[in-house]
Amino acid sequence: MAKRVAIIGYAQSQHQYDVQKTREDLVFDVVRDAMKNAGILREDIGTVVTASTDFLDGRTISNVFLSMAVGAYLKDESKVEEDGTNALYYAMMKLVSGAYDVALVEAHTVGWQFNPHQVWALTTDPLVERQIGVVNDVSASALQARMYMQKYGVSEKDLAQIAVKSLQDASKNPNAQRKLPKVNVNQVLGSKKFCEPFTELMISPISDGCAVVILASEDKAKKLCEKPVWIQGIATYQDDYLRDRDLLSLTSLKKAAKKAYQMAKIKNPLRELGVAEVTARFAHEELMIYEALGLCKPGEGKNLISKGITKRNGKLPVNPSGGALAADPVCATGLVRVIEAVKQIKGEANGYQVPKVKRALAHGQWGICAQKNTVIILGGGK
Amino acid sequence: MRNTAIIGCGQTPHRARRRDVSVAELVSEAVSAALEDAGITMKDVDCIFSGNMQGFGGIAQPDLWLGDWIGAPGKPAIRIATGGTTGGSVAHGALYAVASGMYDIALAVAWEKHSDSKEAGATTGLAHVGMGNLFHALSYGLSLKNLIATTAVGAAAGVAVYQARFYMHRSGATIEHLDMVAAKDRRNAAKNPYAHLRWPNCQPEDIAKTEMIAYPFRYGHVCPASDGASCIVVAEEKLAKKLCKKPAWLLGLASYSDEENQLQSENYGGVGVLDPSEQMGCRVSAKKAYAMAGITDPQKEIDLAEIYQPFPSQELIFAERLGLFDDGTAWRYLEKGETDINGSMPTDLSGGVNATNAIGSSALQRVLECALQIMGKAGEHQAAKPVHKAIAHGWGGVTNYITVTILGDSPR
Repeated sequence: MAKRVAIIGYAQSQHQYDVQKTREDLVFDVVRDAMKNAGILREDIGTVVTASTDFLDGRTISNVFLSMAVGAYLKDESKVEEDGTNALYYAMMKLVSGAYDVALVEAHTVGWQFNPHQVWALTTDPLVERQIGVVNDVSASALQARMYMQKYGVSEKDLAQIAVKSLQDASKNPNAQRKLPKVNVNQVLGSKKFCEPFTELMISPISDGCAVVILASEDKAKKLCEKPVWIQGIATYQDDYLRDRDLLSLTSLKKAAKKAYQMAKIKNPLRELGVAEVTARFAHEELMIYEALGLCKPGEGKNLISKGITKRNGKLPVNPSGGALAADPVCATGLVRVIEAVKQIKGEANGYQVPKVKRALAHGQWGICAQKNTVIILGGGK
Repeated sequence: MRNTAIIGCGQTPHRARRRDVSVAELVSEAVSAALEDAGITMKDVDCIFSGNMQGFGGIAQPDLWLGDWIGAPGKPAIRIATGGTTGGSVAHGALYAVASGMYDIALAVAWEKHSDSKEAGATTGLAHVGMGNLFHALSYGLSLKNLIATTAVGAAAGVAVYQARFYMHRSGATIEHLDMVAAKDRRNAAKNPYAHLRWPNCQPEDIAKTEMIAYPFRYGHVCPASDGASCIVVAEEKLAKKLCKKPAWLLGLASYSDEENQLQSENYGGVGVLDPSEQMGCRVSAKKAYAMAGITDPQKEIDLAEIYQPFPSQELIFAERLGLFDDGTAWRYLEKGETDINGSMPTDLSGGVNATNAIGSSALQRVLECALQIMGKAGEHQAAKPVHKAIAHGWGGVTNYITVTILGDSPR
């Protein structure tokens, strides 16, 4: 890549259910915070890319009223659908092309307005799966979890352990929604059963939230920011559709990780990364993500949990923020992971800071059973 | 920004109902045509940008399941949806992907299959725009006057009526000029095998005979709801020169948004845009794109325009806002036939959106048609004059979103 791009500012909302603000107000407040964080004004921003979907927003062309809230009025703007990390990727393209110097990336979902699980069901093939009526993100992921558990000898208790790790860590994160400092495995297993083997606490909650990241090209970043966080590697891939895919393997994530590591010159992610923030909407996904990211061999994901390697004080802490199991504002979730990774690198994760993080990984996903995956490698220094 | 060009174009015939194909098959039809035109296969494509209006086909993120029909698995695939401008935004995505140097060959594909919705997709879909606006206003508090004003707006046609009245009042254009534009576009469409409403030798008098819908729009003024898809292949300089005899080079692009104009304007007692024909977003987008392209006098340097004009008034308005004519004068050039196929500023020779409207695809078609004219591949509707530089325009949102793309026959 010819030009480097850095993150110079960020902000996120307090993720919660039933937010008492309009979508525009929610977004506006976070955008303002992000500009304040970056120490810039609206005039400094060249282009704006937002991420949301009309189905989740409950209206057609849902970005119509957002232009003013995100400060895109009389500015270059576009809307990427799906995950916020894709919006970040597109904004980065605009910066690398040299057309603009500073970009604002925004992603949000107000989950209480429209049930995200219902929207996931609407992404299925209208001619086949939709007609059957039982396929949605929860049921498909449950099947995937069962396949994974049977093949690698993973138990419900192992899944509960992941939820315990996430929800306990979340209690230190001021922005998280589901905070349970004293939760234990039995409580997770005893929470409401959704779809065998998932109980409520193993599934990400429905959240209202917004995340904003401000990007700048190299020259501008050095001028505007004392501690820019550089995008050292980025890649995104799509997988086959649900019915044609081997659900046991997150192929597109493997590919994305490989390319992102290559760009960032990472050979041994377990050793070279300081923190990983991944989007796991269901507990079992975290194990599959470990494997796809090359942190362990296939089927050994549960060992990383049981040995405490991915705990906040482990060798490679994964999701010290609590991850998506603690808050899942659908379109914003990937961008929240980016923000949490940036916070760790800058040493700004008060209360859940991992010591000496030089490089971090952020992961965003989209589609039932993580059909699309984006991996971003971030690093501090010059 | 490195040199980037369009090297392949593909589209499907646009019809009211494509019952012979599913939406996935429709999209793959356009993609295959574009790949064939570029002389490459899907293996050569590095990344895909796709989009359509959400909700119109009743599927959330259809790219997830129909990706398998166009070879998306194993490739980076980004979905963009910005309403009416979707096609233009998707094209910009592919152009930026290549111009940035991050990918060498990118594909942009956009579509709409209105007939898959029980009611016309645009009716139900755009009703959501109206409803959304209503709920937006309710959350801030809404008076009866504003409630009536909101519900009376009636989505795209409703906005365009106000816009047309503003324009006619300020420019002196009359309803007869709208008849002339619509007749020209239907005539042009007759020469374009992919267009929907094709009416050979259509005359303004024929349009004038059609029923009045909402003043100043007659039935003959209004765009159809079409099924169709379009696709372009974008490549970097070396590959473009190797693969294509006459690539259409990217000279400039921009998509500056304006403030939406329905509620925060006079209805709402706010400070927003009062005159929807003013189009500051379009003026700024054009200015930025011209600057990028090194164009100082568009009236002389631009040879051809493809304007997004679901309603004929918009062809006149946006031609002016893009700087192709002075403000308030477009209808004078129309009278002289300057926007015809043999005129000095041929406009919408494909028939434009007025003759074919598969909404998600419409703004991409403008880019595609400009590329065809530059490549000399437009066939029967090829402009009489040589086309060196052409401008493609997209419009969407609540008249507040704009995409502008300038293409040329030689690189920047």
